[in-house]
Amino acid sequence: MGEKGNAAFTVAMLAAVILLFTVADFFAGDRLYSEAENRILASRPEFTLQGLFGGSFTSDYEEYVTDQFVGRDKWIAIKTMTEIALWKKEINGVYLGADGYLLEQHLPEQYTVSQEAKKTAMLGRLAQDWNAMVMLVPTADNVMRFRLPPNAPSYDQRRLLERASQMVDDSRYVDVYQALQGHAQEEIYYRTDHHWTSLGAYYGYLAWAEKTGKEPFPYQVTNMVTVSEDFLGTLHSRLNLDWRKDRIQYFRETDQQAVQVVYDLQTQKDSCYEPAYLETKNQYGFFLDDNHAFIEIHTENRNGESLFVLKDSYANCFIPLLLPHYEHIYVVDLRYFKGRLYGLMEQYGTRKEMDVLVLYNCVHFLEDFWYAE
Amino acid sequence: MVFSSVLFLFRFLPIFMICYYLAPGRVKNFILFLGSLVFYAWGEPVYVLLMLFSTLVDYCNGRLIEANRGKARAKVFLISSIVINLLVLCFFKYADLLVQAVNTLTGTGIPLLHLPLPIGISFYTFQTMSYTIDVYRGEAKVQKSILDFGVFVTMFPQLIAGPIVKYRDVEDRLHGRRPDILQISRGCRRFCVGLAKKVLLANNIGQLWAEISAMNFLEMSMLTAWLGVTAFAFQIYFDFSGYSDMAIGLGEMLGFHFPENFNHPYISASVTEFWRRWHISLGSWFREYVYIPLGGNRKGRPRQILNILIVWMLTGIWHGAGWNFLLWGLWFAVLLVLEKLFLGKLLSWLPRGIGILYTLFAVWLGWVLFSLDSPENILRFAGAMAGCGGVWDQKALFLGSEHMVLLCVAALAATPLPEGLAKRLEKSTTGMGMALYRLGEKVIPTALLLLSIAGIVEASYNPFLYFRF
Repeated sequence: MGEKGNAAFTVAMLAAVILLFTVADFFAGDRLYSEAENRILASRPEFTLQGLFGGSFTSDYEEYVTDQFVGRDKWIAIKTMTEIALWKKEINGVYLGADGYLLEQHLPEQYTVSQEAKKTAMLGRLAQDWNAMVMLVPTADNVMRFRLPPNAPSYDQRRLLERASQMVDDSRYVDVYQALQGHAQEEIYYRTDHHWTSLGAYYGYLAWAEKTGKEPFPYQVTNMVTVSEDFLGTLHSRLNLDWRKDRIQYFRETDQQAVQVVYDLQTQKDSCYEPAYLETKNQYGFFLDDNHAFIEIHTENRNGESLFVLKDSYANCFIPLLLPHYEHIYVVDLRYFKGRLYGLMEQYGTRKEMDVLVLYNCVHFLEDFWYAE
Repeated sequence: MVFSSVLFLFRFLPIFMICYYLAPGRVKNFILFLGSLVFYAWGEPVYVLLMLFSTLVDYCNGRLIEANRGKARAKVFLISSIVINLLVLCFFKYADLLVQAVNTLTGTGIPLLHLPLPIGISFYTFQTMSYTIDVYRGEAKVQKSILDFGVFVTMFPQLIAGPIVKYRDVEDRLHGRRPDILQISRGCRRFCVGLAKKVLLANNIGQLWAEISAMNFLEMSMLTAWLGVTAFAFQIYFDFSGYSDMAIGLGEMLGFHFPENFNHPYISASVTEFWRRWHISLGSWFREYVYIPLGGNRKGRPRQILNILIVWMLTGIWHGAGWNFLLWGLWFAVLLVLEKLFLGKLLSWLPRGIGILYTLFAVWLGWVLFSLDSPENILRFAGAMAGCGGVWDQKALFLGSEHMVLLCVAALAATPLPEGLAKRLEKSTTGMGMALYRLGEKVIPTALLLLSIAGIVEASYNPFLYFRF
């Protein structure tokens, strides 16, 4: 090939790249939603003269063309891989931890002392008024500090837990941090999701049982049921690369007794588990049918004991472990409940007789824990 | 429209290029003119009229200067051109700055105009002024075709971020140019390299600066601060020189030769040298149309110093209507004067490495003035750079280690080494070297293009830095 031939070849190659994707993009259809990015993609903007001269049409159109570009998910994956190749340790708010762990980034400056003071004061009042047990679960980056990239800044939740333990009577504060710390080498958090695993919840349960003085049910750790081996959770969504898949398990014993589960006073089920979610992206929804404002669980333990739980999604895999101890369990997700909390609680039991449990992970606690008496 | 966008690469560029290459000779300029208007109007549907106005005014002034050559009236039309261009520029760019100054000084409350700055106005007004001045001086021939003149002013490759092309640089190519395949290939490769500089280097390193500049400067460690300003220095260099490369590359594809705009500024051993290597087309514009007409260095030392101060204040303020840009220009003026007086001599005695360190230090401090706009922030950040917030902290170590590879790649790419290697391979006579060059010349631009597309589609951070120029 002569010099000209060479040049022509180079031009042809680069032009082919541009033309190929231009044509492919022309024929590719539009998508409404990106599952990988978990957001609605821009759609074709309506043309108006006003929009054109005001500049909104052109910028909307650019966004539309970029969002709908052919092979978008693949391009994003390539971009992420280049970042990893360039030694980036944090992508879209997720740390690439050791042993394939993706750890959600919580920057120290995001959480202030005054925020901690405000939330723990609210917690203390509730614990006082209702004699509530408190379980604040640290997030994975705190329990598995050794898996964070070197020097990665991370919000130390011990400061919050210290304050919470001061606001709550010692007999009601369950030290989940310490309970999990002892098992940090085990699979107590998912690698690709921000939740704890059933095993993590089990260690939390043991600490709860010890604090409440209840005899822990003899769950068999070695006899858990594996319902999924291809779970890629919320943290993986921010990366979207081939990744080691997680396993979802639950304790066999939790599904071996008759229960009646009522979601939002409407839908009635006979199990705490919903296998339908295992076919979706949101496999953690398997536990307690994802998120509901209000859940009632009735068991056949005729002991008259009731429990009222205020919680975030961490509780979803934890609550089934409590089944052997109660006849009724009422669960409220405060994010979806905007009424007067005490009034609701009083409908289900008196302050003297009903057990109350507050279970949040530390970050959700700071962000979402709020109630009106 | 910016080059680093899906819209440009996969809509505008293919459609335009197909039309342009298919069009017969005479129609090519028409296509280029039309395409450029579409390109500009996409982002500035109203201000495109201002650009056309500017084009028409200077076309007429050029013709009138030519028609009155030798007469006193020629000068009137030259002045008319300069006044109109500067008025347009000042009105849209500096009106609010002036109003603010008046308000502060006299305590009046004249309301601000809050006009959005027309993109590229500082580039095209400078280009058209170079035309009328050159025609007046007899250094360029008058352009009789309004279309050809319109092409010169509005040509999309350098329209929004330079280089500032003087009329006589492209005069002979405005008509009947014929790009051969070698030129087109050179242009394509240059474009890909520029795109990669912008998308892969500038955007990624710019995220580090975006993160650091959002932190609290009072509690910032020295290491973080230096990391931040280094990130900004690389961001602006790769962004700006990347745009210039893309412009020059597109120009080559169309059959033009634009002047170079950057020549590895960060290896300069003095500030004087830095300004010969950084934004060359702007520096040479000011030198030719301001510094030399003011007398340059021919009227004695004191006058030269004054001229340097004037030119560099103008250079500073050209980059944006803000006091920090004025300060930035003054900072360089002072250093340039010092170098003229004694520092330059001293530096030439010292090893080159020391000169480079001194220049980087001076330029880095300059970037602090350039990138932060309030005096309070500038002082706080300078304090952090001096170590007021401690020498290092965990955050600095994390950010530093995380971006170390990128910074090293950027530093290497800022030196002439990669190009030197390419040149040596190109000239090599051994079969191995030649084969390597032939392969690299195809594979590297293609890979850079694909990776850049990925960066553009992801588009979480793709700023346009010249909205204030």
